[in-house]
Amino acid sequence: MANSQINSFILYLKIRAKAYIYKTRHPSFGCGVWSPMLKIRFHGRGGQGVKTSSRILGRAAFLDGFVAQDSPIYGAERRGAPVISFTRISKTPITERGFIFDPDIVIVMDETLLNDWLARPLDGVKKGGAVFVNAQPGFPPPEGHDDKFFITYDLTGRALEILGKPIISSPSAAAAAKITGLITKSSVLEATADELAELDLKDELLEKNIQLAAEVYDAIPSPVINTEESGSITREISPLDYEPVTYEEVIHLDIANLGNSALRRTGNWRIFKPVVDPEKCTGCMVCIIYCPDSCITLNENNKAVIDYDNCKGCMICLRECPLRAISSVREVRVYA
Amino acid sequence: MRDVKTVTSNVSAVEMMRVEMLTGNVAAAWAARLADVDYIPAYPITPQTEIIETLAKWIGEGVMKAKLVQLESEHSMLTAAGTASLTGARVFTATSSQGLFYGFEMLYNISGWRAPLVLVNVSRGVAAPVTLEPDHNDVLAARDSGFLQFHAETCQDVLDLVLLAYRVSEDRRVRLPSIVNMDGFYLSFTREPVHLPSQETVEEFLPPYIPTLPFRASRPVVKGASVLGGHIYTYFKHNIHESMRRAIEVFEEASKHYAELTGRVHEPVEGFKLEDAEYVLVMSNSFTTMGKRAVLRLRERGVPAGLVKIVMYRPFPSAQLAELLKNRKAVAVLDQNISLGMGGIMYQEVAGALYHQRNRPEKLMSVIGGLGGKYISLEEFEYVFNVLQHPEGRDPSTPLFLFRKDELEGVRKALGLAGLGGG
Repeated sequence: MANSQINSFILYLKIRAKAYIYKTRHPSFGCGVWSPMLKIRFHGRGGQGVKTSSRILGRAAFLDGFVAQDSPIYGAERRGAPVISFTRISKTPITERGFIFDPDIVIVMDETLLNDWLARPLDGVKKGGAVFVNAQPGFPPPEGHDDKFFITYDLTGRALEILGKPIISSPSAAAAAKITGLITKSSVLEATADELAELDLKDELLEKNIQLAAEVYDAIPSPVINTEESGSITREISPLDYEPVTYEEVIHLDIANLGNSALRRTGNWRIFKPVVDPEKCTGCMVCIIYCPDSCITLNENNKAVIDYDNCKGCMICLRECPLRAISSVREVRVYA
Repeated sequence: MRDVKTVTSNVSAVEMMRVEMLTGNVAAAWAARLADVDYIPAYPITPQTEIIETLAKWIGEGVMKAKLVQLESEHSMLTAAGTASLTGARVFTATSSQGLFYGFEMLYNISGWRAPLVLVNVSRGVAAPVTLEPDHNDVLAARDSGFLQFHAETCQDVLDLVLLAYRVSEDRRVRLPSIVNMDGFYLSFTREPVHLPSQETVEEFLPPYIPTLPFRASRPVVKGASVLGGHIYTYFKHNIHESMRRAIEVFEEASKHYAELTGRVHEPVEGFKLEDAEYVLVMSNSFTTMGKRAVLRLRERGVPAGLVKIVMYRPFPSAQLAELLKNRKAVAVLDQNISLGMGGIMYQEVAGALYHQRNRPEKLMSVIGGLGGKYISLEEFEYVFNVLQHPEGRDPSTPLFLFRKDELEGVRKALGLAGLGGG
C-alpha cells in the first residue's frame, strides 16, 4: 500500500485517547538508556493474531533500519490456547534465538492470561521495562511489578468496533512499537499493510487494521524503557547425571490420572460467553449433544447449565439451540 | 524490502542485494526458486510445511516455473524425487523427522543412483514421546546414507547452503544428493534479515545440471541394478565413499566462488574466537548462536573460550576439525542428539577425528543438550565451560546431560499430574 493511501486513512481517523498510564515509582521515566537489544514478548491466545503481532513489529523495526528477529511458539492446541511470540530489535546482529526469558516489554493480549499458571506472562520482565495489558479501562496494575511501566488499552473492544472481529494483531504491534520509543508510525503502518497483505486480507479489512493501528500508536504513551542487560546467572543447573535421579523402575510415558482435562481450565479462552435464558430453555438437550467440550448439563429444573470453568466460548450451542434460548455476552471479567 | 550495497571481495563487483525478513522455511523456498528447480515432490509435515506452501504459492502466482506434486507419502515423495533427478531435472524436496524416517530406505537408493537432488530436513525430535521441536536424531539417522549433509545456524545459512549443496551435489566429481538441515522453530519459524542474491548471481554460480545417461522415453537405461556376490556391491560403495571424501574440496572450491559473488564465506568447519582459545566447544545448528554469545561473555571475564561449528557433517571434515582443535586444553562436544545406549553421536566422531592428531586436546568431554528442542540457556553454556576448566573427578566420556533445576521441578509436576507419583 502506498504511503499516501495510508496517510489518507490517518486523516479521517477519530483518535479517541483511551490509554491509561499508572504512576510508577521508577525515577528515570523519560530519561533512560536503551540496552543494546530490546526484547519484546507477546502473550495471547490462538486466533488473536499473536504471531502476526510479532511479525508486524519485527518488520517495522527492520523498515526503520534495525536488525530484527521474530518468532512464535505454539503447541498442538487449538484456537484459544495460549500462544507466545517474540521480537528482538537491535542495532547490531542478534546473538540469541528462541524463548525470551528476560523481556524489556511484555504485551499481554488477553488479560485472563495474567492468572494462567502455564503462560505466566509477567515472568522475567526486566526492572524498568514495560507491561502492556489489553484490558478495559480501570484494569488494576498487577501486584509486585511497581518497578515497570504499566499501560492498558482496550484493544479487543476497539477491534470489535472497527474490524467487527476480536483480532488484535495490528493494534498490539502498534502498542509495542510505540512503547519501544524506537519505531516510527509510518513503519508500523507499512509493516501492518505488508504483513496483512501476505495473509491475503481483503482491502477493506486491511484499511481498518491500519486505522486501528494508527489510533493505538497515537494513543499509547511512549515511556523510555530503562532496563539493563541481565548479566547474572540466576537459574541453577542440575545435570541429570549429577542430580540423584535414580530410576529403580522404568518410567512409562503414561497418563494414569484419567479425566484430567478438567484440570485445564479452558474457560479463560472465551471472548464471548453463551448465556442460557431459563425462561426459553425447554431442556431439549440439543446444545448438550453439540457442545464439543461436554460443558453443558441439565439441572434439576431441566434447564441447560453451562460449566463456565471449561466452556471455551465457541458458540456452537448458540447456533444449534432450536429455541434461540442462548445469547452471546462479551466476557469482561478476569476468570480466576 | 530494502536494498543494501554489499561490497564483495571482487572489488569491481558491487551488487545491489535485497535483504528481506525471512523464516528459515521461506529462505529454503527462496533458494529452490533461485536455483530454478524443475520438480518438487512434496508431502506436508510440521515444521517443514511452510516451505512447500511458499513454493506452491509462487508457482500458482506464476513467479516460479516448476512442477510441484503432492505425493501420498514421504516414501513415494523420495522415490519420485530420485527418479526425476535421473531424467535430468533439478529436484528439490523437504521433510522432517517422522517423514524422513517413513521414506528412509529411498535415501540409500537415491545416493546409489547418483541422483544429485537437494532435500531440506527441518529437524524435529523423533517420537515417542511426541514433540514438534528440534533435535538431530532425525537428520543424523541419515548420516550413513550417502547424502552430503550441511547444517545451518541461521536463516541466511539455509539459503546459502541449499545453493552450495546444488553446486557440490551436481559436480561431476561428486554426483551425490545433499541434505541441508535447519532446526524446527529456532530457524524454520524464526524470521531474520536474509540477503537474497540476484537471479543472475545464482545463474553465474550454479551451472545447469547435465545428467549422465539420463532416462529418456526413447532410450531405456537400467539404474541401480542388482549385483549379487558382494564384490560389485563393495566396488560401488567404495566409489561412493571416494566421491564423498572428494566433496570436501569441491565444497571449498564452490564456497570460494560463492564468497566472491556474495561476500559470504562458508567453510566445512568454522572457528569462532579461536586465536588463543584453550577451552573450546564443538557444536552445530541454530543453538550455535547462543553458544557464541556465551563465548563472548566468558571472554569479557577473561576466560580463553572458543567455539567450533560443524557445518558439513557428511563428508566429515576430520582433518579440518583436528587442525582447529589441536593444542587446546579441553574440548567439549555438545550433541543435540543421543545414540541411546552410547551417548552423543558427534562426540564419537570428533574423538575419532582426533585420535591420530599428534597434539590433540588433553580433555574431550561429551555434553548432551537441547533434546526435543529443550532450550540451552546461557547459564548451561557457561556451566559447560566451567566444567571444562575444572574437570576434576569427572569421567569425560560419560555425557553431561544439561538440565536446569526449574526444568526438573517442571518434570516432577507433570509426572504428578499424570499420576506417576513424581510430584
